[in-house]
Amino acid sequence: MSTVSLAQFHQTFFDESREGLDAMETALLALDGGGDTELVHSIFRAAHSIKGGAATFGFPDMAAFTHEAESLLDELRDGRRAIDAGIVELLLRSVDCLRGMFVRAQSGEALADAHSEQLRQELAAAVGREAPAKPSVVKRAETGASAWRIRFTPHRGMLASGNEPLRMFRELAELGELKVEPALGQLPALAALEPSDCHLGWTIELRGKASRAAIAAVFEWVEDECDLSIEELVEVAPEPTAVAAPVAVATPRTSREVAAESSSVRVGIDKIDSLIDLVGELVITQSMLDTFREGFDANRIELLQQGLAQLARHTRSLQESVMGIRMLPIASVFNRFPRMVRDLSQKLGKQVKLELIGEQTELDKTVLEKIGDPLVHLVRNAIDHGLETPDRRRTAGKGDTGTLRLEASHRGGSIVVEISDDGAGLNREAIVAKALQRGLISSGEGMSDEAVAELIFQPGFSTAATTTDLSGRGVGMDVVRRNVVDLGGNVAIRSVAGQGSIFTITLPLTLAIIDGLTAMVGEEHYIVPLASIVESVQLRGDALRTVTGGGELFRFRDSWLPIVRLRDAFGCDGVRADIEHGLVIVVEGEGTHVGLFVDALIGQQQAVVKSLEANYRRVVGISGATILADGSVALIVDVAGLIRQQGRRRVAA
Amino acid sequence: MGGKAKPPTASAATTRVMLPADCRIADLPAVKAELQAALSTASAELDASAVERVDTAALQLLAVFRREAASKGLAVAWVGASAALRDAAALLGLAHTLELPAATPA
Amino acid sequence: MAKILAVDDSASMRGMVAFTLRGAGHDVSEAENGQLAVDAAKGSRFDLVLADVNMPVMDGISMVRELRTLPEYKGVPILMLTTESHTDRKMEGKAAGATGWLVKPFDPDQLLATVKRVLG
Repeated sequence: MSTVSLAQFHQTFFDESREGLDAMETALLALDGGGDTELVHSIFRAAHSIKGGAATFGFPDMAAFTHEAESLLDELRDGRRAIDAGIVELLLRSVDCLRGMFVRAQSGEALADAHSEQLRQELAAAVGREAPAKPSVVKRAETGASAWRIRFTPHRGMLASGNEPLRMFRELAELGELKVEPALGQLPALAALEPSDCHLGWTIELRGKASRAAIAAVFEWVEDECDLSIEELVEVAPEPTAVAAPVAVATPRTSREVAAESSSVRVGIDKIDSLIDLVGELVITQSMLDTFREGFDANRIELLQQGLAQLARHTRSLQESVMGIRMLPIASVFNRFPRMVRDLSQKLGKQVKLELIGEQTELDKTVLEKIGDPLVHLVRNAIDHGLETPDRRRTAGKGDTGTLRLEASHRGGSIVVEISDDGAGLNREAIVAKALQRGLISSGEGMSDEAVAELIFQPGFSTAATTTDLSGRGVGMDVVRRNVVDLGGNVAIRSVAGQGSIFTITLPLTLAIIDGLTAMVGEEHYIVPLASIVESVQLRGDALRTVTGGGELFRFRDSWLPIVRLRDAFGCDGVRADIEHGLVIVVEGEGTHVGLFVDALIGQQQAVVKSLEANYRRVVGISGATILADGSVALIVDVAGLIRQQGRRRVAA
Repeated sequence: MGGKAKPPTASAATTRVMLPADCRIADLPAVKAELQAALSTASAELDASAVERVDTAALQLLAVFRREAASKGLAVAWVGASAALRDAAALLGLAHTLELPAATPA
Repeated sequence: MAKILAVDDSASMRGMVAFTLRGAGHDVSEAENGQLAVDAAKGSRFDLVLADVNMPVMDGISMVRELRTLPEYKGVPILMLTTESHTDRKMEGKAAGATGWLVKPFDPDQLLATVKRVLG
């Protein structure tokens, strides 16, 4: 019995197979537009790996399914069969089917179902044969004799290929008693001998009850590298011997070994190497600084300063590198779109050209996992509502094929993803009408185009006259915005009637570290994310106005903004500071501006975000906590959450 | 450490060839050179006491050497043979050809 | 204990092979494709190389061919990890100088048995 549990490799197998399936899909779609052989090879490799892994790690149904796909791909690879749209379609459906199998594998369910069985038959039919209902291994009964003569003459190159007669003879010795007679006749002179060539041969008598198959198995690898004859020496009554176990039946999973669904990141070796380098640098700096422990004299102060500067630099680089480990290219999200766009546009009778730009832009893994759904929605939306049918496009004087472009890029400390189309653009009248009907606005008069566009992000908004099965999935633009905001980002839209729309999603590089402004409220420190800060201002008493219901407003530029006193919002102790003595941080969130009133500003710093939820519980208006240099805890303000809470309070008041 | 074959120690007319611990196909060109040098001396000694790993190619080389030495009337004596070498020679049926001294019974 | 090089582009297969062999006390190095395997083999002398056939960059068959041009890899066992359905690939591998093959799927016990068999 094996001491190695295969279950521990399941997660790796699932992860790499999902990547393999994504790669297959991408390559298949590329084939669709006239492919090359390298594409077919890469598709074949992916299928082949999944098949091998499935068989090895105990998923025979998946192995059987992939086997049929592989056979078909093998024919494509050899050029025995031409690639046509039908085959691409069939293989794409197989990719989907395998994805389903992986989902079921992950939860320990049975892998094959009626759908996968039918598809397996289709694949087999495409190869031109029937798929075996069940894999069967036919073994013929073997006879055993009690003595054999084996003549074995290796070809010259056999030794160099690593096939060692000593090994074979040892195996033969396990089958019975050996009498080995070497043939030395072919040995050359010493000077002429190339030591790696084989000039020896042997006649071996084996006594013991062995089957011919068992003997032949010893020489299995050298069939083409030797002359071999195996003959029975003594005639005995043939009797059936135990049939060798059928080859390679994957070990069935005895107990339910469902791989633990732990989240993992695959990291490039270069990233690890750079980490190791940096740690090396840190160790050097540390030992340099260590010399100051012995004693310190003033003329070495410059050296100390240098050391500390180095320490700061290395720490910063190390931090960046460690963050880099969590960074993955957005390609893994983008990759699902070619297929989706193809399917959707076919369904809707539209012609869409998809452009993907900046696929290598890296995002934090957590952000990456959560940005998929909003992007899918925006892409669906663009195809469903944005891009027109070829007829309509022609009427509008455009080409039949619309362009949908997804572009990711770094902009400062953020990642920007733009989803743009050259479709009809937002229909101002329809939006205003819908908003009026929903009671979101009382009149569209005088509303700027931007303000009208903003309406689509309001809860429950939908402009489609009829709900198609594409966008009508109960998810609106409001949810898209909420999801993005929860990631610390934002969504904006620009649209020109008749020319198209651009949705711009701005995301933070990482969720693990934020740049923030530290402020004091009473005895406590709060950190306000820099991304949401517009400006910090000292208020004069005359810039303040109290409104009915107890709210306070202050004048900022040309408008009056509500003030949120953090002391009240979070119930801090201490004397209530006069507005003139404190500071107001103007922040933006939920599409509006407010002023956060604090006692004093400490300064800007980076904060490593610790989850408050994981360590304490969820607190409204607080997104997390961080540890300050002095060891005390500072809370990080969730600006959007705070604004929502204040809004509710005002409504309630 | 494996160790390459040491240069033959020529004491008057006797050459001693020391076979390396790893006496396998990749290391044989050096062993072959030594054996060739030994062929031109009056007598040779083979020391296989250090041999830990040996393969068919090595035993074939030794068989060629023994045969050629015998035809030239060169006296060859074993001054040591490890168990690994003896076992391998026995398995390939070459113990006799190599004129290995009878193994001491265990 | 032997020095073994496990070559496979699939991390799960490579992991399984390496884990199993390490468990049996072997010193295992890993490579993701044939090219990396050749590079690794040049810097170190392995007692056994186990390699997948289908790999990007350099496949297993080209890898065997390359390794066999190195004098120190004459006679070193190189096994192809191959599937039952690809006899022609097996033969191609043999022609390139592979010692033998291990048919996928195999379980850890079969792997250990084969390795034991080759290493003697």
